[in-house]
Amino acid sequence: MSDAALRVEGLVKHYGHTVALDGLDLQVERGEVYGFLGPNGAGKTTTIRLLLDLIRPTEGRAEVLGLDPRTAGPDLRRRIGYLADDFVVDGRQTAGELLTYLANVRGGVPASRVDGLSERLGLDRTKRIRSLSRGNRQKVGVVQAFMHEPELLILDEPTSGLDPFLQQEFALLVREAVSGGATVFMSSHVMGEVQRIADRVGIVRRGRLLAVDDVEELRHRSRRRIELVFADEVGEDAFGSIPGVSEVTVEGRTLRCLLDGEADQLIKEASRHRVITMTAEEPDLEEIFFHLFDGGVGDDDAS
Amino acid sequence: MLRNPFTKWLWDARRSILGWSVAVAAVGSMYGSFWPTFDDPEMQELIANYPSEIMEALNYTEIASAAGYLNATVYGLVVAMLMIVYAVSSGTRMIAGDEEAGTLDLILVHPVGRIRVALERYLAFVVSVAVISLVLLIAILAISVPAKLTSIPIENLMAMHLHLLLFGCLFGAVTFAVGTASGSRVLALSIGAGVAVFGFAANGVLRQIEGLEWTKNLSPFDWLNGSAPLTNGVHVADLATMALLSTILVGFGLWAFDRRDIDV
Repeated sequence: MSDAALRVEGLVKHYGHTVALDGLDLQVERGEVYGFLGPNGAGKTTTIRLLLDLIRPTEGRAEVLGLDPRTAGPDLRRRIGYLADDFVVDGRQTAGELLTYLANVRGGVPASRVDGLSERLGLDRTKRIRSLSRGNRQKVGVVQAFMHEPELLILDEPTSGLDPFLQQEFALLVREAVSGGATVFMSSHVMGEVQRIADRVGIVRRGRLLAVDDVEELRHRSRRRIELVFADEVGEDAFGSIPGVSEVTVEGRTLRCLLDGEADQLIKEASRHRVITMTAEEPDLEEIFFHLFDGGVGDDDAS
Repeated sequence: MLRNPFTKWLWDARRSILGWSVAVAAVGSMYGSFWPTFDDPEMQELIANYPSEIMEALNYTEIASAAGYLNATVYGLVVAMLMIVYAVSSGTRMIAGDEEAGTLDLILVHPVGRIRVALERYLAFVVSVAVISLVLLIAILAISVPAKLTSIPIENLMAMHLHLLLFGCLFGAVTFAVGTASGSRVLALSIGAGVAVFGFAANGVLRQIEGLEWTKNLSPFDWLNGSAPLTNGVHVADLATMALLSTILVGFGLWAFDRRDIDV
């Protein structure tokens, strides 16, 4: 028994000769939003399926809310809400039928809670699920995951099918759940999604946890690709000497560079000229990985 | 109707159960109503002149009475076939089909045990077979006067339907067991179809071959109507065989299901 919401030790999962998890360690504290970040095929979904007892580990152990998911059974699952990356169900039923059924299986959920969530997300429960768009189907998934106010929310790439408005609403739902005492474990392969919602991020690759960091820390450490377009041609020398700035190239009036950490110095230097546009690309995951490996983490190559 | 996996399965299958009930009752009573055409001296003479091997292979040897006719043509053939198709496809869909569609995960992460989900679905299927069988019984009773089937005692008809119920449960159990243990729809369908083909052959053609007569005893078709329930009433040993085999198969499927990984 431990106080952590999730604790995973040396988790290994083989599918035949394929190694999906290769000794994963993980700890998620109660009340936090933990982003589980990694490229596709890193083992995120495998980990989640193990936590939910849909599959069984080859080696290692997992503890969910202090219990072993393999033996804890229905009592543990009553306390969990789960949303899959692609919420698929038999399309012949209406969203209302499905939600009523799932609420009953959970031993009853206040109708006001289901109504409230559906209304917030703009879900029409009278429609057959088959006739819903992917985004609307995902709303059904969000409602069933949150409706019983679970202690632990396990969300697998939750916002991939949602439009920006719903992503906003979803982030609010997560915040509300956390302020009510819930813990959220959320996987993603998109940095931005995790940054918006999570407090702490674990980075997983090839079935192992590479690093755990505060979101703020990670944001700080990650490098961005910056593009500045000036009214006049500029020289690259002045920019190349700014701390944190590298790989400066100038093509006519366009300057491109990589920026690590604070943008302050770069902005100040740029402001000496007339700036037409400025774009800062979100660092993508591959770049963060590259950065991590650059620092000598692991023997893996990051290409 | 949306309380638990048992009622949910029946609710989801309501149209299918209605369709199959109507189809089985329609086909069964249609074939049953042909009896007066057979019950005619010329026809019976014609039949008597067929080579006995063919008649035996088709199990048409008792076709001279209403009970023998119904046993051979309706229950032993068309109804049996329709029941197999219904049972095999339902047993396959119950877990394996759901799993391959990616829709099984959702219920399994809810607070119900895996075994309970699978068992409740199988029991709901048993209820659906009982409904189909009951609707057919009503249809046969409805045509019994015009189709001259009144010589068959009603308790024998009920006995026949009890055999039919367990016959359906058995085929459902075969594909349920394979599908639940393996998660493969194709494997479950193949084995279900294989058992049906073997059972049909063993009950007809194979037992004509010297040295293979014993295979008849292994045929579900023999357990269904080899004892001629319409003439002799229930055959306890055959009913027990089907019930026991179904129980073992379902038990095995549940045991294996609880131990394996659910496919993504």
